[in-house]
Amino acid sequence: MSPTFRRYILTKLGWYLVALLAAVTLNFFLPRLVPGNPVDALMARFLQGGAGATAGKTYQAFITQFHLDRPLWGQFLAYLVNIFHGDLGQSFSLFPARVTTLIGQAIPWTIALQVPAIVLGWVLGNVLGALAAYKRGAFDRNLFVSALALSSIPYYALAIVLLYVFAVAVPVFPSAGGYSFGTVPQLSWPFLWDAFSHYLLPFLSLLVIAIGGQAVGMRSMAIYELGSDYVNYATSLGVSDRRVLGYVFRNAMLPQITGLALSLGTLVGGALITEIVFSYPGVGTLLFNAINSNDYPLIQGVTLIIIVAVLLANFLVDIAYGMIDPRIRAARSGER
Amino acid sequence: MAKQGLHIRLVAVIIAAALAVAGSVAVAQTLPRNQTLYIGGHQWGPPTNFNPLSSSPAWPVGGSGQMGINGAGYIFETLFLSNIVDGSNAPALGKDMAWTTPTQLTVQLQPGTMWQDGQPLTSADVKFTFELGKDFAVSTSAVWDYLQSIDTPDAATVVFNLDPARPNPGVMERYVDTVYILPQHIWQAVADQGQQALLQYENFEPVGSGSFTVMRYNAEQIVLERNDNYWGKDLYGLPTPKYVVHPIFKSNDAGNLALQQGQVDWSQQFVPNVWSMEGVGTWLADEPYYIPGSIPMMLVNVQRKGLDNVLVRRALAYAINYPLIAQTAMSRYSEPAKSSLIIPSGVESQYFDANTVEQYGWTYDPAKAKDILENQLHAKKGSDGIYVLPDGTKLSFVAQTPYGWTDWMAALQVVSQSAKASGIDVTTNFPQAPVDINDVQTGNFDLALFYISGVGPDAPWARFRDMMDDRSVPAMGQNAFWDYNRYSNPAVSNLLDKAGAATTVAEKKAAYAELDKIFMQDVPGIPLMYRPLLFYEYNTSVWTNFPTAESPQGTSPQWYIDVLRDVKLK
Repeated sequence: MSPTFRRYILTKLGWYLVALLAAVTLNFFLPRLVPGNPVDALMARFLQGGAGATAGKTYQAFITQFHLDRPLWGQFLAYLVNIFHGDLGQSFSLFPARVTTLIGQAIPWTIALQVPAIVLGWVLGNVLGALAAYKRGAFDRNLFVSALALSSIPYYALAIVLLYVFAVAVPVFPSAGGYSFGTVPQLSWPFLWDAFSHYLLPFLSLLVIAIGGQAVGMRSMAIYELGSDYVNYATSLGVSDRRVLGYVFRNAMLPQITGLALSLGTLVGGALITEIVFSYPGVGTLLFNAINSNDYPLIQGVTLIIIVAVLLANFLVDIAYGMIDPRIRAARSGER
Repeated sequence: MAKQGLHIRLVAVIIAAALAVAGSVAVAQTLPRNQTLYIGGHQWGPPTNFNPLSSSPAWPVGGSGQMGINGAGYIFETLFLSNIVDGSNAPALGKDMAWTTPTQLTVQLQPGTMWQDGQPLTSADVKFTFELGKDFAVSTSAVWDYLQSIDTPDAATVVFNLDPARPNPGVMERYVDTVYILPQHIWQAVADQGQQALLQYENFEPVGSGSFTVMRYNAEQIVLERNDNYWGKDLYGLPTPKYVVHPIFKSNDAGNLALQQGQVDWSQQFVPNVWSMEGVGTWLADEPYYIPGSIPMMLVNVQRKGLDNVLVRRALAYAINYPLIAQTAMSRYSEPAKSSLIIPSGVESQYFDANTVEQYGWTYDPAKAKDILENQLHAKKGSDGIYVLPDGTKLSFVAQTPYGWTDWMAALQVVSQSAKASGIDVTTNFPQAPVDINDVQTGNFDLALFYISGVGPDAPWARFRDMMDDRSVPAMGQNAFWDYNRYSNPAVSNLLDKAGAATTVAEKKAAYAELDKIFMQDVPGIPLMYRPLLFYEYNTSVWTNFPTAESPQGTSPQWYIDVLRDVKLK
């Protein structure tokens, strides 16, 4: 590794640490800026049957229980210390469950659903987009129009239509859940098959959208590249179509890689609608309900994961860029 | 080449291992459908504890708000079960209850009551459970605002002594009907560690006295298995299904679809147009399909400029189209709301006084609203069609309710439209639930659609208390837990105490009529619709014989264990 490259990485690393610190701080204070506090909503259960003096006592007991009576800076310090111990605290609305447990139950579903959909959608979308740009004509028109349509349909509408058509009108797929209710999750073919049949519909809905979006982006990038000098030069030399397409693909790829990294980073919070429409397990609804009940620890826990994932993805992209594209590295260190 | 050979061998080993695992459990362990009843609509997040004292216990210990009504008798049992149709207290752990004096309730336990681990369930357990609420701030604590002490003359008798200064038999009966009795031999050790430990206790393997035990649970479902050693199997019988499964859906729509497709047998959800769902039945065969259980109440902030004038409040009350709210927002599941704090049908109808309502109340009548605004208030319409009072106050208000409470939001939309048609500007605002609840508790609102006490042994007393009692209510800006708009009328407290202590229907009715009259004269709130306590709908494709209004006397559209004893396999 050259000294310039090492310096490049170290500078980047420094900036990312600053960004992480800022994000972690915002992560603590933003939920607390919302008016009201989590205890208000919890009190409903304790207020039946003409509760009198005890209501105030119970309210105070919860304020103490959640340490909301401590000064804000004290809570913040405790939060920082706990984060570094890997302790995200206890949920308020789902008391006394630990935030790490709640996220741990949900996140495998989110990753298993989203990573394949995003990656496969990215690959297929880019290949199709580049092909469309290169082939032009009817193939391009059909593909471009359908990709544009797919990427501009609101996702929830597409998901509901898929659900209606394939789970209600022609019920070939189950309508809800990660597996049949009343089934014990286990490692066996029948169970995996059952889980797969529940997986397919939400997966396809995500895949279709991902292909659409990527294809549109890749097509315009590729058209731009196709008009550039090196393509004209290569074509005039009689280089084969395949090879030219390969050049174009690699050059048009750079911004698409950033896109992939970003969508992989935000996938944790991204599947809310999929989860709600298909009643599929995952982190999205966990975050949504946490926000709906001012559940500070749970909000912080989920957003912390999103923050770390986004930063990490960007950092990796930066390193990859530094390696793929010498121009970036050179510009940074002042080399010409 | 050698390296490649290693790869192939490795793959072969992995495939062999996977096949071995798969082969050992060849059949997916799915519960037999003809022994399993699926329930929906009580639990909306991952189950985190089965501790009835905590703030968010999972179904069937908690779920959907109030305690003691979602799964009484499944794992934990109450002493009695309140019937919201005829107002009676049906026996459960308790055999009979009697008011020996107006402040002394004696409860006799059934013979042979036993915990699921075989230990006897005695009056000591009952006393222990209630006293947890005295020693700690938990979900049952509020009963000690009225209760003074508990005696246990023998193992099967419990005597509740009420505070003579605050006699209120109704409140006591509500707790006798809703408190889950806990085994002292398990919970004493937890209680000895104090308040924190008690609220933190997850109780993942609950030992109760009821007909079911927790078989397994995860973020997607809760599964119960029948307890065939139930102490009351000869007395009450056992539930028909061996397993009960509660799938945890992410949205109402998913739950409703499952009910329609027969994947859920029995559901507690708002189903739009339930009458059009084939094969699905409700408690009542016709409108309003459900028994009313609560009154979503539009609280009017009597401290706000404009709304501090009772005539403005009255004009607003006349301007609202109640039949349209019942028709659209409540999907015909409600009669048009009357101007009373008493629900006119069901068990409270014995207190409802149509004459008082006729004389002092209001109905949807835009002409009357116009008359009040123009002839009594001498308000003038501005160029935008909104009235302005002679002192320059424009009749422009904001009505709020939490985002996501869809039927409540729809009701406020109707309020907004019909008020505007009468020259009162009402805009809607739907903040997130915690924000809205904080606004309501601190009195920071113009108009707020909110919940107040529903039907139960202490109704409608608790509802009058929630709306009108200003005793021990903190000032605006601090959290109040009733009388959110800080309405105050000196005549109320005396009448409330009288109604609370009354022992005969006639006495109660007289006191409630007085209170209702004050409510209608002062308009501190406007009832918008009636809502069932819990929805009750069932699909008969697998299980039949769900109790309905047609069933013999004594049944009630509630989620008690006796429904599971009645159902039959189709």
